[in-house]
Amino acid sequence: MSETGCRHYQSYVKEHSYDTFRVIDAYFAACVNKDAREKKSIHCNCFECGNYGIQLYACLHCIYFGCRGAHITSHLRAKKHNIALELSHGTLYCYGCRDFIYDSRSREYAVINRKLEAKDLQKSLGWQPWVPSAKETNLLLANTRRRLVRPNQTIGLRGLLNLGATCFMNCIVQALVHTPLLSDYFMSDRHDCGSKSTHKCLVCEVSRLFQEFYSGSRSPLSLHRLLHLIWNHAKHLAGYEQQDAHEFFIATLDVLHRHCVKAKSEHESKSNSSGSGSNNNSSNSSSSSHCYGQCNCIIDQIFTGMLQSDVVCQACNGVSTTFDPFWDISLDLGETTSHGGVTPKTLIDCLERYTRAEHLGSAAKIKCSTCKSYQESTKQFSLRTLPSVVSFHLKRFEHSALIDRKISSFIQFPVEFDMTPFMSEKNNSYGDFRFSLYAVVNHVGTIDTGHYTAYVRHQKDTWVKCDDHVITMASLKQVLDSEGYLLFYHKNVLEYE
Amino acid sequence: MTVSNTVDQYTVLTGDRSKIKDLLCNRLTECGWRDEVRLLCRNILMEKAVAGAVTSNSNLTLEQLITEVTPKARTLVPDAVKKELLMKIRTILTENETEGTDNHDDDEDDEDENGTEDN
Repeated sequence: MSETGCRHYQSYVKEHSYDTFRVIDAYFAACVNKDAREKKSIHCNCFECGNYGIQLYACLHCIYFGCRGAHITSHLRAKKHNIALELSHGTLYCYGCRDFIYDSRSREYAVINRKLEAKDLQKSLGWQPWVPSAKETNLLLANTRRRLVRPNQTIGLRGLLNLGATCFMNCIVQALVHTPLLSDYFMSDRHDCGSKSTHKCLVCEVSRLFQEFYSGSRSPLSLHRLLHLIWNHAKHLAGYEQQDAHEFFIATLDVLHRHCVKAKSEHESKSNSSGSGSNNNSSNSSSSSHCYGQCNCIIDQIFTGMLQSDVVCQACNGVSTTFDPFWDISLDLGETTSHGGVTPKTLIDCLERYTRAEHLGSAAKIKCSTCKSYQESTKQFSLRTLPSVVSFHLKRFEHSALIDRKISSFIQFPVEFDMTPFMSEKNNSYGDFRFSLYAVVNHVGTIDTGHYTAYVRHQKDTWVKCDDHVITMASLKQVLDSEGYLLFYHKNVLEYE
Repeated sequence: MTVSNTVDQYTVLTGDRSKIKDLLCNRLTECGWRDEVRLLCRNILMEKAVAGAVTSNSNLTLEQLITEVTPKARTLVPDAVKKELLMKIRTILTENETEGTDNHDDDEDDEDENGTEDN
């Protein structure tokens, strides 16, 4: 489907070619370089009223800028010029038709200019409407059944069979399946497995799981294949014993992350040899994946944050800063004796304690890099960057030399949570650190024996309780009154890279 | 030259204008504004088509559509989006202010000149 504008535009192009359009677009609509921005900021104002305002049009027949409406149309009418370019979005306007017109050749040129502009300003290309590829068009034509997601629908909910003390796995899977960014990724079929043996790839298995969850079927699922894969890749979890849900969560992220990296490297070596560089994303990410030990796989994109640790020398006040990536934040609940403070009652208490400056004491002198001597120092954690999904692990299981116990004290946690106070750079008004609760994993029982369940946000303001194969509706109050072992928060506003 | 013109020129020059525009487009798409406005346009066109069938005059020009949709579309923009944009613009301008006092002086001169011209 190629668009050719209107007859006025066709005769315009025949007479003037595409050159004027390309230059005007590159300088005044897309601003491909600094020179263009200078020219635009000086010359691009309405010839009628002098306004630099929002919607200006440029006549493509002569040198004339005018505001939307009377100013540009009176010029076009008086001079009998037809074609103008709207400059804030780069849309062609035909006065002859009194309408916007669409021409695919012009659009190709415009896209080149937008790409140049994005490169020059080091920004993303901005929002682009979805244009289905030939493959996607064929898929849509071949599969005519559409599924409409309405409120109060159960699609996306499946119970999970307990395969013998596997509730630790079930609750983590429920939390992961209900992670919006992760479901977006898997539901759009973005994992392209490079390895030939897809039955060995955990990412493929999770991808299949998402399909199962959203298939519309309501019978409980059995996760034996997933369990088997995890056993193979994280040996310490193998066996029919009850495992720690937090440990399982971290191990799952780790295996998924390793498989993503592996699949990508295999895929790249393959696509490089065949020379099909159609996917811009993968080629971009490959160059940046080697820097700073952080890769660009979906797990890292969603779950990896950066912890900042400042060690301040008490003698010279020299600060040495280190950064560590994290997947979750483990919070102490017990009454602290080492560096004061009261027993935390809320999640915010826990985080305040976590990010407080801690005196390392005279027994732990550290060599200061500034004054080159061993000195007492303080250490303080802060959050350098936050992932899109922040998970908190409340350390309810305490293992000490004397006693192993479970701390069942009630820790209040919020639904909406602004993390700004815990950031390293609080004054960065560009950042938005508001998060919303979307899953809570609970443990009932003692340290030796117990049962895991999960509350997950199914749709906006709709919560469900997942207890193995039983899924029941839950109120927000029930969620907030629960004990809480793992808390999952999702970022409200996503930044564009 | 007015203050808003100076702001317009400054943001165009630094490229912030284009970034702000992208952000706005993204937010409006994310919050569903784009879809709502599209629906609004569709409904107006359908109404006009029905009315046109009776009066045999169903041609609605783009300008008419824009005048009809604009006020409604404006009210549909969520406050959160407006607030975020305002914050961003403010940050950009304060950054400019702290970057160099020379720039700032120029701006003030411009404002004064304009004031006298207007009078």
